[in-house]
Amino acid sequence: MHVFHVRYRNTQGTLMRILNAVSRRGIDLPYVQAEPAEHKHRVTLLLDVNPKQIGQLYRDWHAVVDVVDVRAGAPSKEMMDLTAAWAAVPHPPASASTGDSARAAMA
Amino acid sequence: MLRGADIVLQCLRAEGVDLVFGYPGGAIMPLYDALDGSGVRHILTRHEQGAVFAAEGYARVTGKVGVAMATSGPGATNLVTGIADAKMDSVPLVCITGQVRSPLIGTDAFQETDVFGLTLSLTKWSRLVRTIEEIPAVIAEGFHWARSGRPGPVMLDIPTDILKAKMEFAGPLKFTPHPTPADVHGESTFGETLIALLEQAKKPVALVGAGAKLSGAVPDLRRLLDHLQIPTFATVHGLGAVPSDAPYYLGMVGMHGTRAANMALHETDLLLVFGARLDDRVTGDPARFAPHARIVHFEIDPAQLDRVRPCELPVIGDLAETIPACHGALRHVSLPDWGGWRAVACGPERAELDPRGLAQPTIRFLDELFGRLPKNSVILADVGQHQMWAAQRYRSSCPRGFITSGGLGAMGFALPGAIGVQLAKPDTTVLCVSGDGGFQMNIQELATVRRLGLPIKMVIVDNKYLGMVRQWQQLFYQRNYAETDLSDNPDFVEIAKAYKICGQHLGEDVMREFPIAAATADVLERFLQSPEPELLVFDTHPEANVFPMVPAGASLSEMLLEEE
Repeated sequence: MHVFHVRYRNTQGTLMRILNAVSRRGIDLPYVQAEPAEHKHRVTLLLDVNPKQIGQLYRDWHAVVDVVDVRAGAPSKEMMDLTAAWAAVPHPPASASTGDSARAAMA
Repeated sequence: MLRGADIVLQCLRAEGVDLVFGYPGGAIMPLYDALDGSGVRHILTRHEQGAVFAAEGYARVTGKVGVAMATSGPGATNLVTGIADAKMDSVPLVCITGQVRSPLIGTDAFQETDVFGLTLSLTKWSRLVRTIEEIPAVIAEGFHWARSGRPGPVMLDIPTDILKAKMEFAGPLKFTPHPTPADVHGESTFGETLIALLEQAKKPVALVGAGAKLSGAVPDLRRLLDHLQIPTFATVHGLGAVPSDAPYYLGMVGMHGTRAANMALHETDLLLVFGARLDDRVTGDPARFAPHARIVHFEIDPAQLDRVRPCELPVIGDLAETIPACHGALRHVSLPDWGGWRAVACGPERAELDPRGLAQPTIRFLDELFGRLPKNSVILADVGQHQMWAAQRYRSSCPRGFITSGGLGAMGFALPGAIGVQLAKPDTTVLCVSGDGGFQMNIQELATVRRLGLPIKMVIVDNKYLGMVRQWQQLFYQRNYAETDLSDNPDFVEIAKAYKICGQHLGEDVMREFPIAAATADVLERFLQSPEPELLVFDTHPEANVFPMVPAGASLSEMLLEEE
């Protein structure tokens, strides 16, 4: 697992373009956190990627107009725990109401 | 006080726009209402896809930003193929769509579509305009990104209430981008590394892509290649950047490239790439692409580097700057003598096409047609077999003279694209070459051609099949011609007649005569010299194939040269 921190100007669609660079390659996104960082914004992504994908993602992110900076790092224990905990949760969450009608409404 | 629609048009004028292509509808009506007297000429196509392809044709031939307009919902979604096409082929394009009234956004209102979301992955930059005050800044920034760096498509979605709102307008704005980090490769650094690589190289080659043309670097590139004298070939979008009569030029490379170009690319030990993405149609099997080569990649878009495999020397920047810098670094260096390699790579034993291939009637037809075109004519090829034949037979050295949907491969591009080209170049001969499948995808634009009286020369290579798909079915699917039969095609000449456009058929048998008969030559001459739009339907054999061909997933060294 690799962690990437992408700093960006929080303009329309920029976060979506950053995420799209991942999703268009069919890469799972087990952990994403976007937050204000100094005068900009930062999104942190935990990804299972190979070296070739890392290079492609770096360059694709840099090509997004309002991306300022891309850095890599090691995943923290908290991230891995959160990812594991989320994977263990039934998904989608079970409805408090009964059975079939709730499932039909969510379909 | 000006309406939002008036402000949009004034900002377009400030960006140098005097021609837009579009199709009206409910949400964009305020913008159409403001067109009269704005100084912006609107071309009504008969489908939004026709509008965006025409805007692309205009942009591709001029280098200026093309503009397409459409309404919300289906109008906007009909633009999507053109936007994807512009992204793949680096075409500067601004699309303006009307959107439902601001309070209705997100309510699934009539003709509401999230076109901003739909096109996020296809556009270089986009905005859903939220206030009338944003309009000047959004248009200035949108045009900046459409034309800067690697050009591309921009989408501006404007709710109808904002187009109708009014405000005091102080005038168009200019956009100043945020500063970006400097290129990591200084001029001197790459010069020294490049010299070292060239000194070690025994079989260097150059591959030229669209980037060389988009950056305006063609004269510099030609000087550099004349200096290097190394075997050179082009992608489909690089055609015209290098004179076809240059002694070191080997033609098009890739899936339907020349045998000489593909063999040289397979054998090279140093590949200089000038503004090309190295997509799969150029590389063949990426794992076996140029297996002996080190790669030097001149490219403006860092996202295109290392897609196939790591390059030895990435030279990131505008080719209009990096190519002269490269030439400057090499000018006074004694380079190895590559005469022996050049003689092998460009020698007669690697002739570009099998002689029997040259006698193929469609190829002869295109040769006869292209040979009669005035200098600086523009050829638009649609997508399919005829596209590859046209690319193989293109011989002009006009950098923007061969236009096609290369990356996306969007059938139906050529006819509306030709409308944009002819409007941009009213005194130029514009030849539109389509297949019978692709022509029917935007056949409604014959009405646009007729209304405007554009003297476009339209050719349909009619083999009554979706020919390229059929070719693959023949070669790789045991001749299972599933749903590619178009034998019940309409009579295209009669359809043209309904649009008050003259047309005629030409059978392929006339191209079996050597030389062609005087009467046939006369047909071609009259077709090209007519001041009116003309249609020529070339009825050809249903099972003619394009060769050479590199099967999908094969190495460039595994070309099929003819029928087994």
